[in-house]
Amino acid sequence: MSPRRHPAPPRRRREPVLALCLLLLAAATLTACTDDKDHRTLRVLASPELADVEPLLKELEDDTGVELKMEYKATADLSGPLGSYDLAWPASDRSYLLRQQEKGERTARPESTAIMRSPVVVGLARAVADRLRRGVPGGRLSWADIADAAADGTLRFGMADPRRSDTGRAALVGVATAAAGTGGALRAKDVSCDRLRGFRSGQTLTGASSRELIDTYVRRQSAADALIAHESELLTLNAAGKLKQPLEIVHPQDGMVLSDFPLMLLDAGEHKAYRKAVDWLRRDDVQKKLMERTWRRPVGPDVPRPAKLRAEIGNALSYPDQLAVVERLMENYGSTGGSGRSAAGDHVVFLLDFSTSMRGRRMADLRAAFADLSGADPTAAGKFARFYRGERLTVVRFAGRVLQERTVTVRGDGDLKALNSFVGKGGFGDDTAVWSALGRGYDVAAGAVADHPRQPLSIVLMTDGENNAGLSYGEFRRRHARLDAAARDVPTFPVHFGEADAGALRRAADATGGRMVDANSSSLSQAFKEIRGCR
Amino acid sequence: MPEDSRPSTEEPRLTTSRPARRRTRHPRHIIAATPLALAGLLALLVSGNSLRPFERITTIDGKMASKSDYFKDPEVQRLLLKHGIRVDIHRLGSRGIATQSLRGMDVVFPSGQPAAKLIMQRQQRSVRTARPFVTPLVLGTFRDYAKTLEAAGVARPQRAAGGGETLYYDLDMKKFLNLIEGRKTWNGIDFAEHSNRSNAGRVLVRTSSVCESNAAGTYLSILAFVENDNQAPGTERDRHKPAGSGGGAASDPVLDVAQQVKPLINLQGMAADEQADSYFSDEGESIAPVSLIYEHQFLKHQVDHQKKRGKQDSRRVLLYPSPHALTEPELISLGEQGDRLTELMESDAALRRRAIELGFRVRFSGEDGTSEQLNAYLREHEVQVPTPNPDQTKADAPDLDALERIINYVGSCPPAGQGDDEDDEGDE
Repeated sequence: MSPRRHPAPPRRRREPVLALCLLLLAAATLTACTDDKDHRTLRVLASPELADVEPLLKELEDDTGVELKMEYKATADLSGPLGSYDLAWPASDRSYLLRQQEKGERTARPESTAIMRSPVVVGLARAVADRLRRGVPGGRLSWADIADAAADGTLRFGMADPRRSDTGRAALVGVATAAAGTGGALRAKDVSCDRLRGFRSGQTLTGASSRELIDTYVRRQSAADALIAHESELLTLNAAGKLKQPLEIVHPQDGMVLSDFPLMLLDAGEHKAYRKAVDWLRRDDVQKKLMERTWRRPVGPDVPRPAKLRAEIGNALSYPDQLAVVERLMENYGSTGGSGRSAAGDHVVFLLDFSTSMRGRRMADLRAAFADLSGADPTAAGKFARFYRGERLTVVRFAGRVLQERTVTVRGDGDLKALNSFVGKGGFGDDTAVWSALGRGYDVAAGAVADHPRQPLSIVLMTDGENNAGLSYGEFRRRHARLDAAARDVPTFPVHFGEADAGALRRAADATGGRMVDANSSSLSQAFKEIRGCR
Repeated sequence: MPEDSRPSTEEPRLTTSRPARRRTRHPRHIIAATPLALAGLLALLVSGNSLRPFERITTIDGKMASKSDYFKDPEVQRLLLKHGIRVDIHRLGSRGIATQSLRGMDVVFPSGQPAAKLIMQRQQRSVRTARPFVTPLVLGTFRDYAKTLEAAGVARPQRAAGGGETLYYDLDMKKFLNLIEGRKTWNGIDFAEHSNRSNAGRVLVRTSSVCESNAAGTYLSILAFVENDNQAPGTERDRHKPAGSGGGAASDPVLDVAQQVKPLINLQGMAADEQADSYFSDEGESIAPVSLIYEHQFLKHQVDHQKKRGKQDSRRVLLYPSPHALTEPELISLGEQGDRLTELMESDAALRRRAIELGFRVRFSGEDGTSEQLNAYLREHEVQVPTPNPDQTKADAPDLDALERIINYVGSCPPAGQGDDEDDEGDE
């Protein structure tokens, strides 16, 4: 221990004890103090968010002789060489454990102790929060409402990169779990289609870590109306007074992912020092200081909390137990670039059957489906699946031949209204040329792929009858086979409706890497929602 | 867990050995206690904590899971220190203990018999052990959820003496599993009618990892027992085999049950350690509506709550599964140092007495002796006395081999690598 003759004022309370130790040291019966306070320095790989505990670590060292040397590094799953670290202190050990589990090795699971908790929440600019709440019955916002507003361009948010940051990853898993809406953990089939396209279209800020994200936001407050981060970071940000206007913290009512900031023992040889550090950090008085300094929630039940940390956090969402699910999720989410809007929105080509048999109820169903996708659907699934700003939509109306075609890139409500009236105005024809229509779809696709090679593209083929005009299926396949690889690989998602030939549609789906859905058992709206985001 | 400071502040010797006591919120109190601390330190010096003039303190390294609650207790630590023993806790799941190297350990304290047996199988010599207490496996939940389950006809409240709100419910596991298998959500079984909150999450039990923990493994054996028409899988006769069920391969009754049980566990996604830790935290109800814990953890919490706040924690309530499973932790010595501790646990009445105060059911002489003392202690501290297993239904555990196969199947656990473990030098 280092003899401190002039301890700082706040530490005065310990002076008698310190003096006592020194006295005893002087009395040469020295082991009494040094044995228990054997000085250890432990290297800690820590989440950059935890820089806020640094000031307390000196006290830890004074009290226990354990010095934590923090090295702050944004890492989502503690990947990279860990050999030189004694401890790790991430926001969550879930991704690390998933990766370990995937390796299937019988490696000893490191001892791990939760130190503090904080849920991933949304911080909203006051005006935006008020506006969103007005649109929601009961006024309790959900992730679906955030996704909805992001899709229609009225909400721009920042979120850390899920590939590099554990906070970003927790946020992504949370939103995706809410989007799947199963009430359980995400499974592979829940992420086989990307339901977060609309949500993502509203992302304007990112960062390798949530620290970086927040720093960027402080500099460019007009670039976003919302931040997705730990409650603790947003409360800290508000308290720092660097914002023109504090962010209002919303705990989305469809659930959240909770981080517990575990301190993990990587080098089992340092167990004793680890225990001391953990026991110290879990002491009620230390928990109180941690809470006051970092706005994270204490793990123990006996620390009185300020009002801001008594807010209900909602229900914790289950975290997927398969690495492949999380990886698929990140792959879908794609590269959001360094900053600014994410990669181009999707392009979807709708081939819609306007043969006379579509008249009446079926046409009404089709209109409703497009209205739902344009933002009328109040369900959570609908809010996630809707058309979004930046998305490119081509509608081809066909009967015995292609009747009409219209393409819009969604910039605002006006574009969606134009598209809806194009779909809704009717104008039916005789016969059903399913394969000619699909051929036309691939012509559009070939052009789009050439012009925008990086834009994800898919074809939706909705028909209610069997092919009785134009190309045969065989002819279509021969034409399709002659396309460039990029166009050939565009998947087709046939929607089986009315008296359509399910077998033929399924063949077309299989041949192009798509999937057929049946609208007869539900509705066109349901069927369209089901294939949204699939590629 | 933040320890209850009461017993130790009265104990000067601990005050000095634990900086925690000096840094409480009452500086004046502390200053007043300084002379005491000085006396305590001297006492320690005399008793020879590290100066070793007369007696030495032995540090015993032990891997343990939830039963570290016992050795973390300040009063237990004080009692052990009187015998010159300090226990250094290495915390990990019981089954984790059983499947990992035990090098450098003096004792291990798995929370139940399956893990204890696995560990003893690996020992080359006969070992001293102690089984100081038992505790039933239970489900910790919250009032609104218990009421929802009651309304759904799945849980039945135990009568509280004096007619107050009960802390305990009996849970019909068969019906409860029907809810889980029926993909019911809490809102779907009218949670909102019993709460001002809403929960669109599915009805499920949060457990720790089946690969790592005794609680989850034991819970699996209850599930397997219920799913297998109330018999332990692996014990049925051929009559139970579904004749000519597909594939031609002879069906394996144990794996069949494992397949049935797997989704009931995997539904929760990633398992989380330290269920009790999160259950008793302020965020507990948000983290998990139903968590798999042990009875002793709940009873200890209620006694503490009474002491601190003068009333029971009536928000947290227990579900006693029926059929039920009793767990029996076993302290296993791995060497001479460990032998001292196991002997002490067997012989020292004060240590056993303290176990009762921590909510354990301690065997004294007769079988029936286990509960009476605990009940008396609870009554004395005005905590409702539970009836853990009113209809005496017990989930027979599958034999060790069958249970291992079920666990490995359900958890897709990494291979236990028996080869490495045969000799303790083998792996790290």
